Amino acid sequence: MAYPEYMKESIELVHKTRAKRLEIDKIGIQNVLTPLTEEGRKKVLSENHPDYTPDARKQIRIGPNKGEWLTTKVVEILESHSRLPTTFRLDKPDYETDVLVIGGGGAGCQAAIWARLHDAKVIISTKLRMGDANSMMSQGGMQAAVNPNDSPLIHYLDAMGGGHFDNKPALLKILTQEAPKAVKHLEDLGVIWDRIADGNLQTKTGGGTSRRRMLSSRDYTGAEIMRVLRDEVRNHPEDITVLEYFPAIELIKDQEGKIAGAILFHMETGEYAVVKAKTVIITTGGFGRLHIKDFPTTNHYGATMDGLVMAYRAGAKLLHMDSVQFHPTGAVYPPQILGFLITEKIRGFGGQPVNKFGELFVFPLEPRDVEASDYIQECRAGKGIPTPDGHIGIWLDSPIIDLIHGPGTIEKNFPAMVRQYKRFDIDIRKEPMLVYPTLHYQNGGIEINEDTSTSIPGLYAAGECSGGVHGRNRLMGNSVLDYNVFGRIAGISAAKKAKETIIAGNLTIDHIGKYEEELLSARIITPLKTPVLLPEYRNLDLVSRHLDEFDPFLPAGL
Amino acid sequence: MKRIPYYPGCSLQTKAKHFETTAMAVAEALDYEMITLPRWNCCGAVHSLTSDDLMHHIAPVTTLLRSKEFSEANQLDDSRLVVLCAMCLNVLKRTNKRVIELIDDRTKMNDFLYLESSKYDGSTQVIHFLELLKEIGWDVLSRKVTHPLSNLSVSPYYGCLLLRPKEVGIDDPEAPVIQENLLHSLQAKVVENPLKNRCCGSYHTLADKQVVVDLSYDILTNAQKAGAEIITTSCPLCAFNLDQRQEDIIKKYSGFKKIPVVYFTELMMIAFGLPLKNAGLDQHYVDPRPLFIEKEMYHEE
Amino acid sequence: MRNELEVKLIPIYILSRKHLVPEGSTIITAMEYAGFKLKKGIGCREGFCGACASLYRLETDFKLHGGLGCQTVVQPNMQIVQIPYTPSPKAIYDLETINPEEEVFTATYPELYRCLSCNTCAKICPQEILVMDYVQAGIKGDLALMADLSFDCIMCGLCAARCPAEITQFNAALLARRLFGKYVNKKGRFLEDRIKQIQDGKFEEGYRELMNLPKEAITKRYFDRELNFKIT
Repeated sequence: MAYPEYMKESIELVHKTRAKRLEIDKIGIQNVLTPLTEEGRKKVLSENHPDYTPDARKQIRIGPNKGEWLTTKVVEILESHSRLPTTFRLDKPDYETDVLVIGGGGAGCQAAIWARLHDAKVIISTKLRMGDANSMMSQGGMQAAVNPNDSPLIHYLDAMGGGHFDNKPALLKILTQEAPKAVKHLEDLGVIWDRIADGNLQTKTGGGTSRRRMLSSRDYTGAEIMRVLRDEVRNHPEDITVLEYFPAIELIKDQEGKIAGAILFHMETGEYAVVKAKTVIITTGGFGRLHIKDFPTTNHYGATMDGLVMAYRAGAKLLHMDSVQFHPTGAVYPPQILGFLITEKIRGFGGQPVNKFGELFVFPLEPRDVEASDYIQECRAGKGIPTPDGHIGIWLDSPIIDLIHGPGTIEKNFPAMVRQYKRFDIDIRKEPMLVYPTLHYQNGGIEINEDTSTSIPGLYAAGECSGGVHGRNRLMGNSVLDYNVFGRIAGISAAKKAKETIIAGNLTIDHIGKYEEELLSARIITPLKTPVLLPEYRNLDLVSRHLDEFDPFLPAGL
Repeated sequence: MKRIPYYPGCSLQTKAKHFETTAMAVAEALDYEMITLPRWNCCGAVHSLTSDDLMHHIAPVTTLLRSKEFSEANQLDDSRLVVLCAMCLNVLKRTNKRVIELIDDRTKMNDFLYLESSKYDGSTQVIHFLELLKEIGWDVLSRKVTHPLSNLSVSPYYGCLLLRPKEVGIDDPEAPVIQENLLHSLQAKVVENPLKNRCCGSYHTLADKQVVVDLSYDILTNAQKAGAEIITTSCPLCAFNLDQRQEDIIKKYSGFKKIPVVYFTELMMIAFGLPLKNAGLDQHYVDPRPLFIEKEMYHEE
Repeated sequence: MRNELEVKLIPIYILSRKHLVPEGSTIITAMEYAGFKLKKGIGCREGFCGACASLYRLETDFKLHGGLGCQTVVQPNMQIVQIPYTPSPKAIYDLETINPEEEVFTATYPELYRCLSCNTCAKICPQEILVMDYVQAGIKGDLALMADLSFDCIMCGLCAARCPAEITQFNAALLARRLFGKYVNKKGRFLEDRIKQIQDGKFEEGYRELMNLPKEAITKRYFDRELNFKIT
């Protein structure tokens, strides 16, 4: 692919200005291009961030958060019907267990590992394979205040400010104080952290951090952790059953209103299964594949907010679902990798965002929402570079990293990125990358308490699907930390609760019927059935001639 | 310092590490630097000797090819490949011979190795460390001797793979003399053991160690009868069978008296007066150090 | 300068049936364009999870190629199939009690020693990993080298699918990496020291203060905070 001819002129300017920008790095960028003040942040966000456009939010008309203004797409998905046929009857359970974990990513595996250590039998239900999750894809790092010149308190302050001061203080305290212990747990499980010469953990900066505390495993941080967690789950087949390609589509309750399991749907065989469980943990991750505001996304194929749909229908309260995180640096060229994550760690190592004239136009490490808004603003001002397929972006100057830290730095620390671009004939050691904000993270979610319990007894949530930890904007490295810290807490809490839980009476899905009634009363007419499960990417012309009306994946309305 | 490529094989970097360190130290004293091949792979041992399956020859051929490329890329003084392990020597030499003689097989293998940077043309010559020593010259060796082994009675042991089959052996299979000549240059008293080229039992040591127990018993007692105080060997597997298995020999043959078994390179270290700290003298089941101390040969430094 | 994107269609063969798909599609997007709803053999779509391992042939040569479905761009008359799963033995072990000596593979993945050094695994690896070299490192007991060489492995399974010696390389490598991370990797003091401080309650007071600050006060403290990127 390589870069088209017309971009070459701009790329030349990037090369030309590099020496001068290297000088700025040596002085310290924060001394030349200061981070924005509170007012500065508010201005650039309100003028540019997709969350602030008039149509960004909509009032939800039903459910526990009725009346609140949530992200439009989220509301559309929540105001929908169940996938269960009205004739569905709950009869004898197909599986029984102590703890049901819905979602097989990082949070789910941590929960399963720790629930088992507290004597629970566990079932993990996952839509694709265990490990096919956003957790596998995160690249740059995990925050933990391990250096002497840092402290969990500063970590708390950084995250609180980044989150617009909306984070629940008790949750943030746990996140930041448990971080070093989480690092140790992972180390004990065999995760290979990057280290410096004396054996201490390598730490870098990230967006919105005032100290160096980004730990990493090259640019495979998420994959390294996920591989290890998944392997550890597989070391205990007698206690942890993994059901792949078998997502949950509705929660089940007992006669006391406690959550008592879920209904699973097998995507290959089309069968349903009833899982009876004393406690349920939702770890279904994010919502990138809903393509909010038609943005491309960094998320994996199954990130369709399933957990929130089920929990909401069962009556769980959501928090901060009016806030969407766009990662400032998603790839925009070549088209095959549109939306892919370019890790913030590139900027942590000195990579610089540069406009079409080669100018460094913003402090590179603002919190993500501010940084993304800055890039959008720059492109709106005509200083971006258009792509042949109608997108636009700014340059992320990566070659400067080898000048700052020495030749070979990029290859050593970003093997995944080097390879990704090499597949398309671009050498990021010599050429910059073209980037633009991409849909990345669900800042809010199912509201949780300190033990990850939700507003419904028996239901727990952890990881990206939960809300309250990050406020309205998550900092880099805090999500990987989130699922390790709170995944573990969820496993322990659910296991302990399961010991004292007795499922009361018959299982019921009455809450689904009640939700249907709410839809009717609010006069909401929609063909949509949720959870979405998988986004629709088929060529719609071909699909419209589809004959099988029972295909659960046929897009609504066809 | 003449540089020559060296192929370790799996045992030499693990269980028989001291064979490698002592050989390298001795080579250095003789002005040779043995450079370990980067990216070497297991030779495949007995599996690579199957004659009906070309796939199994790929491992040794890859090694031979890598050696050729390494020598050329680094312009080494000596482009031959030196080996310490008798099994690896045997495998590499036999495969090499096959690949040189059977051109069809060589072509097929080269086609299969198409992603390697060059083809193998049979030009790598494989030699054993003992052959290199012989080439350097026994007189050169004897000039290096600072601590003659004159009051030590040594019985050299060969085993099978250094000598057989004749086409790849390094000496006469019936009456080999290369270790004897080496020991003479160190001024040791050489003792003749008629079973010096009898098989030690090889891999039977894993599945049926009594086979090894009986064979080793014969080899060792015959050496002792001839007056040997110590045995030298040149193969990690023989070393294991003759040394470690004495623990089992004693259980079966109660009258058996233990006798130390060492690599010939360890005796060379002593004779050359080289520091014995890393000679691995403590890595043996039958500790040779009491014997060395008794003979006033053991110097710590 | 914005061109109208001309959608040029090229023929490919999916499960031996001919389809016309846009030039520049990847195997995954080509299959979706052709009407396949992918429910397996697909994951992150970004080259990290290894779910979309695929085998294909090109009309330009006789070879059997392997690659990731989400990263491989289709070419005219390419024949493709997905390999969503390669059955692979996984040893069960307790990392706390396992012995990280060189014999660790004899107990867990003894097939490793069957390696023929044919390099078929490295030739098919979509991550360009020197698979044979790390298997050989495992045979030699060099955990550090095995961990380093296999680091970028996304466990797609293509190496195991093609290996004539029927080794499951990627599972052995995972064990090597875990052992390296836990037992071999050099560790410094900072982490332990910080954990001890936390256990001793050093930060409790500080947290209490921060958590009770009114919004204006904490906002001010946040924007006034020093950016200091030194380690000590």
